[in-house]
Amino acid sequence: MSNLANGNLTTTVETAERRAAIAEVIRDRADPALVRADRVEQLYSQLPLGMLATIVIGVIAAIELREGRFIELVLFWGGLLVLVVVLNGMLYFGYRNEAHKTENTGQWLRWFGIGAFAAGAVWGFAAAVFFPSHADERQVFLAFLLAGVMSGGIPMYAASWPVFAAYAAAIALPFTYVLATFGNRLFAEIALLIPLFYGVSVAIAYRLNGVFLSGYRLRHAYQRQLVELEEARRQIEASGRKLALFAERSPIAVLELDADGVVRDVNNAAELLFGYAADELIGESAKRIVLPQYHADFERDWAQLMSTRKPATGLLIRNPRRDGLTIVCEWTVTPLVNREGQLVSVIAQGRDITAQREAERMKKEFTSTLSHELRTPLTSIIGSLQLINAGVLGDVPKDMMELTEVAERNGQRLLDLINDILDIEKIESGKLTLNPEIIRVDELVRESMVLNKGFGDRFKVRFEPRGELSTVEVNADRKRLLQVMTNLLSNAAKFSPEGEVVEISTQEDGWSLRIAVHDRGPGIPEAFRSRIFGRFNQADSTTSRQKGGTGLGLAICKRLIEMMRGRIGFDDRPEGGTTFWFELPRHA
Amino acid sequence: MPDRPLNKICYVEDDEDIQRIVRMSLERVGKMTVEIVTDPLQAIGVMMAFKPDLVMLDWMMPGLDGPALFKKMKEDPATAALPVVFITAKAQSRDMAELMALGAHGAISKPFSPKDLPDQLRAIWKKIP
Repeated sequence: MSNLANGNLTTTVETAERRAAIAEVIRDRADPALVRADRVEQLYSQLPLGMLATIVIGVIAAIELREGRFIELVLFWGGLLVLVVVLNGMLYFGYRNEAHKTENTGQWLRWFGIGAFAAGAVWGFAAAVFFPSHADERQVFLAFLLAGVMSGGIPMYAASWPVFAAYAAAIALPFTYVLATFGNRLFAEIALLIPLFYGVSVAIAYRLNGVFLSGYRLRHAYQRQLVELEEARRQIEASGRKLALFAERSPIAVLELDADGVVRDVNNAAELLFGYAADELIGESAKRIVLPQYHADFERDWAQLMSTRKPATGLLIRNPRRDGLTIVCEWTVTPLVNREGQLVSVIAQGRDITAQREAERMKKEFTSTLSHELRTPLTSIIGSLQLINAGVLGDVPKDMMELTEVAERNGQRLLDLINDILDIEKIESGKLTLNPEIIRVDELVRESMVLNKGFGDRFKVRFEPRGELSTVEVNADRKRLLQVMTNLLSNAAKFSPEGEVVEISTQEDGWSLRIAVHDRGPGIPEAFRSRIFGRFNQADSTTSRQKGGTGLGLAICKRLIEMMRGRIGFDDRPEGGTTFWFELPRHA
Repeated sequence: MPDRPLNKICYVEDDEDIQRIVRMSLERVGKMTVEIVTDPLQAIGVMMAFKPDLVMLDWMMPGLDGPALFKKMKEDPATAALPVVFITAKAQSRDMAELMALGAHGAISKPFSPKDLPDQLRAIWKKIP
């Protein structure tokens, strides 16, 4: 219980800290240019009120101060005041008509500052000129007036404290000078107080400036944040719609389940696949689409999924349909977990693979049949012909022997084709396993030459090693490597002119070893080069009829060599003919 | 290696054509004595009477297939010690490995060459301890 409480507390503190951090980040995102533009806007918006106050106070002051000997001076001062007000008014209208306020805020702020300084200077002028020439009560009036216009400037100009500082200085400096030089001790003491008063006012203006700044920054930051939030909301809505559409239109059955395995939602494909309407599945356990005899397995697997929360793929489950048929589906189950580690829901995506499995089964059966049912009669056919051709049954007339030899050769060709098809099927379905052993390359080459001598004799071609054969060892499947060699040698023999020599060379190169078979054939036609290692490919389809071969040999070679972590290829020989080579990693 | 040359072979095979070829191969090329059994259910009886040096079993046969017959032979003291070579058209290397572990001595895949069959059998015969 206390743990829980502590946990909660920690969460709250973290949340508060996180919120503060987020607020900080948000505030920092305000555009400074916009914030400054807002402050200038505020200053100008208060300008008419300020000027109005200036005129009213100016008129009252002029009336009050007119009773003296300096009426011309009062008139001159009044004229100055009107001039400043008019200039400020022009400034105001100029600003209002500015089309690019945001871009030119610096300029407008400077002008505003000058206007404020001028207004302050008019009051400072009044202090300097009228204070010494008037009697006591007028001096009190003037002091009160000056204090008023100075402090009144605080709310007026606080959006930019330097503006206020300039304005107030223009008032306070002449006034202080007058008081200090008046010759009266009390006034001299007041003169000392005025800078203090000035300092406090500027400090207050500075503080207010900060408050305004912070307010404007927040306003802009939130504005921006709101725009982004709205954009994000739209994006989320759009992606949500897209996802919903994906699920809805997907040919794959999609189920959303809760932690108890109860269906929350299904898509159209799921309804079609299992034959249930969405209403019949939603709110029910997913066991409804699991065969009863597998319910215990389902519960066990589900519990495991809930504890690991790891997505599972390739789950094969026999699912009963509403109509009683059972289908086999391949499922991908993905638990959705939020940042706090809580399970939000589980998404199960299922694909009906019943037909696919049936096709696979039939293919397997076909392969098996091909293997057994074709090999057994071929055993009889080839076996019989071999016995005749080997002379086991005594001499056979020459013409007859020719035909039985043709029959044996073609029986063998059919067998090769079956073996090649089975090989490639095995390789491509990943069922071919290699039995690697350490093989000395020179021994392998010699063995392959012996094995294929008969084939060479048939095409009147000799196999010869070129130079010293390497004694390096490779770790490879001997039988399959001999199969590759047999393919390359028999191809070379088939395509070489009679009486020619097919050379076999070996070459050590760093970590690998290359075995190459050099023929004197016609070369590989340009159009065929890219397809040479493909299936059922022969440059000329009449070749297979004339010389045998299934068109699968090189495809098998390539796959076998690649399974042995090697590579295979061919090059033109400058003197004519082709070199087929393969490389294998050397045995360390 | 047994001290006498390989001579008497018993071959259990349901396909009559292959029977004929094997008989011809072993008798004419290999100069051996051959007893062929078509019905695998009678094979053990024939073996007990014929007393072969080596038994060849076809893998796939109706009624009782090669591996099953092999297991029956192992259960019968009269045939348990006979060397057995499987003839198979199927590439079932995993099953084959299992039978080799149980005591089969070799496997020859179909189609085999009748010219070479006697030599292949003799090679296996030589390896028998």
